[in-house]
Amino acid sequence: MSALELAGKALQAAEGDEALALVQSERSGMARFAGSEVHQPTLIENETVELQVVREGRLGIASGNRTDDDGLRALAARAVEAAENAPPDPDFAGLAPPAEPARVEGYDSDAAALGAEDQARLAATAIDASKLDLYGFVTSGVTGIAIASTTGLAVEQTMTDVAALALAAVDGASGYAERTGWRLEDVDPAAAAVEANEKAALTRGAVELEPGSYPAVLEAPAFAELLAYFSYDAFGALGLIEERSYAFDKLGQPVFDERFSLADDALDPRGLPKAFDFEGVPRQRVELVQEGVLRGVLWDRTSAKRAGGGQQTTGHAPPSSLRHWGPLPIALSVAGGEADSPEQLAELIGDGIYVTRLHYLSIVDPREGIVTGMTRDGTFRIRGGKIAEPLVNLRFTVSVPQLLAELPGLTREPVLINQNAYYDERYPTGLLSPAVATARFDVTGVGSGPGT
Amino acid sequence: MAAALGAGASYADARVVVRRSQVVGTRNGRVERLDDQETEGIGVRVLVGGAWGFACDRRLDNEGAEAAARKAAAFAKAAPGGHSRELAALEPARGEFNTPFERDPLSVSVAEKVDLCLRAEEALAREDVKVTSASVRAQREHKVFVSSDGATAEHQLVECGGGIDAMAARDGIAQIRSYPSAHGGSSSQAGWEYVESLGLEREAPRVGEQAAQLLRAEPCPSVVTTVVIDDEQMALQVHESVGHPTELDRVYGTEAAYAGTSFVKPGDLGSLRYGSEHMNITADSTTPGGLGTFGFDDEGVPAGREPIVREGILSGFLTSRETAARIGSGSGGSMRADSWSRMPLVRMTNLHLEPGEGSLDELIAGVDDGVFLQTNKSWSIDDKRLNFQFGTQIAWEIKDGKLGRMLRDATYTGQTPVFWGSLDAVGGRDQWQLHGLTNCGKGQPGQHAHVSHGASPARFRNVQVGFKP
Repeated sequence: MSALELAGKALQAAEGDEALALVQSERSGMARFAGSEVHQPTLIENETVELQVVREGRLGIASGNRTDDDGLRALAARAVEAAENAPPDPDFAGLAPPAEPARVEGYDSDAAALGAEDQARLAATAIDASKLDLYGFVTSGVTGIAIASTTGLAVEQTMTDVAALALAAVDGASGYAERTGWRLEDVDPAAAAVEANEKAALTRGAVELEPGSYPAVLEAPAFAELLAYFSYDAFGALGLIEERSYAFDKLGQPVFDERFSLADDALDPRGLPKAFDFEGVPRQRVELVQEGVLRGVLWDRTSAKRAGGGQQTTGHAPPSSLRHWGPLPIALSVAGGEADSPEQLAELIGDGIYVTRLHYLSIVDPREGIVTGMTRDGTFRIRGGKIAEPLVNLRFTVSVPQLLAELPGLTREPVLINQNAYYDERYPTGLLSPAVATARFDVTGVGSGPGT
Repeated sequence: MAAALGAGASYADARVVVRRSQVVGTRNGRVERLDDQETEGIGVRVLVGGAWGFACDRRLDNEGAEAAARKAAAFAKAAPGGHSRELAALEPARGEFNTPFERDPLSVSVAEKVDLCLRAEEALAREDVKVTSASVRAQREHKVFVSSDGATAEHQLVECGGGIDAMAARDGIAQIRSYPSAHGGSSSQAGWEYVESLGLEREAPRVGEQAAQLLRAEPCPSVVTTVVIDDEQMALQVHESVGHPTELDRVYGTEAAYAGTSFVKPGDLGSLRYGSEHMNITADSTTPGGLGTFGFDDEGVPAGREPIVREGILSGFLTSRETAARIGSGSGGSMRADSWSRMPLVRMTNLHLEPGEGSLDELIAGVDDGVFLQTNKSWSIDDKRLNFQFGTQIAWEIKDGKLGRMLRDATYTGQTPVFWGSLDAVGGRDQWQLHGLTNCGKGQPGQHAHVSHGASPARFRNVQVGFKP
């Protein structure tokens, strides 16, 4: 039975109520390795059904993974019970009408065919290519999402994703690289391992750095993670409506460097394409920042209705379990610049620091866009435009708007950075980001050295 | 078990988990979340030729169990690396554990939960408070564990919790206050009586008022000073700077690529000075109401109580049977998986800062010039758990042993053993509170652990507070 057929069957179990059924399926494998051996190989196969029942403006939601007739009847009973107990919601925009999402790429039969032995074999290619102990994973998955509703909505998508993460590390040295894509041919685990080894070899003998404000080059994984944390609050409509996000009262203003343009574009085949959101609404490309001017934020049907004034959804509804976050970016895309490489960015700033990857970020102040975290697995001093001595991991506490206010350069070709930590149901997301040079990166402390 | 052993496993275990969880959340007077989730399945872990394999199946029948076992064995056989693993010896578990409770939180109607949230929210409302929110959660889990060693353990676990938040904004400043904890409130392994005991509606006026007052408060200055930290933030301090670094899988590097490793090394056991003599940390999977309380862990190891830091000296690790055998000490007892579809990992159970003596007022009275920090707002710590920076929702200056003006945007930072070395007092047992959090992330694929921490307020000298770029 297809996911869409199962969604239709779940609707029937709702027995005449206004309802929406969302089916998510996953078949995945992850060969996770540490010390150059696979130590946590995990195979997952699951299918869940979420049923949303509407009674007189009251919405009840229930989900489960029992998909036989008894399971769906019990699911419907729980959703109905929830709806009957819920007060009417004046902001409920009703179930989405029928839609014809754009046809997107994002499915590769070669990736879909990968099984446990293949994932183990790909992990072996990375391990064999590494001179240092290797830590990380190779994973691939086939995920499906289908939504059907009594309004006549019926949409379905099957996606593949493949990712390899490589941390080459020993005591006192570590380097990091990753590869992500929806096509098998785009992910070379051995190449990631080699890159991680090359980076690690440069990190021995790391020294401390005096806290202060430095120009910096952030490689794509570092910039992508920082931007993602900033964007959860800054570019969602709920934060705007509630006056707690950086974007509040700044729409239309030139707030960043004119070299910086940012969109959320789930339709881009260079990313991990998505045709529709969790309300079944077709996803749209949204220009968030154009040449430094803050242009827009992301909307779903609920936030759009609450805002009024004819605001429309942009197709960014989150899963119901994340509804308290409001609409979320899932496919951020930063426009490339003119530099050929991160090394060329180092030449642009002359003197500063070079950051490969970040660790454990936290939002200190969403209104001002202040984020703290650590660097890791490849932090260096830049002197005379060249990468110089390695540095220990640095504590940074940055105002992201200040960091984006002056960007001397960006690399030409954005690369896809994995944004999925594989919690809960698999829903592959990534961020297209170049490496950037910034005039200001605030170092506020020093931490441990590189390596294990 | 038969299918796993037939496929070449020298050891195998299986967990059947059936879980129902419910979240009711309201925001600005409307229902924002009303989720009711059920999930069930079986996860099978095997050891073949010294290599682990794990697979799962949502079918709770022989076909599903056998398929999971065969797939797990096939994955283990294909796994590259020079595998050699031993497990600490263990008497096969046989027993059951049921959460004691008075009122099943899942039997409480959704209407009652919505009403509680809306009443609490109403009491939060103040001028300048732009967002009021309240949530409650309930969960019931039935888990059966068997192993090829002959272990059989059955659990019926019930937990619930709740919390409230008020977000105020004006003139470009946004501030938040929460109760009883930030990030979704606090939970306990208990019945609905726990949620009722939190007094969400009772505490809401204070929470709303403080959120509004913070808009007019001065920013916390940047200074090295004495800090008194409340029990809620201390719970997180224990979690991040003691719990994670003493997970023995991290110490051995198996989390290096994601969560990180540890500044603590295996040879540090019994000798590393982790903190001052006032520092006593205990791992206790028997704590009543703890989210990490059970009869047996997910390897069938019986629950127990073990010192991790005693009078400032590292005295234990959080272990699995594999890591315990590797270090030659202990027998595991900290292996937990967040669902049937995930492999167990070394996780915190309940990790406590043992109480000292005296009240919060007495801790503050011992400070001439300092800051009192309350309720977590932001948190970050490096991959070896050495450099940390935490922010709190609210702070007060301390002058001459008394609380002074309110401060906003407070942060404090330090290096783990230096910071704990500056601990000079821990509040007494009557100040000791148990906080349950449900968002501890670790592993790939990711897993959320539910853990509890008991702590009293504590006082630290010479701490850097108040950085802002």
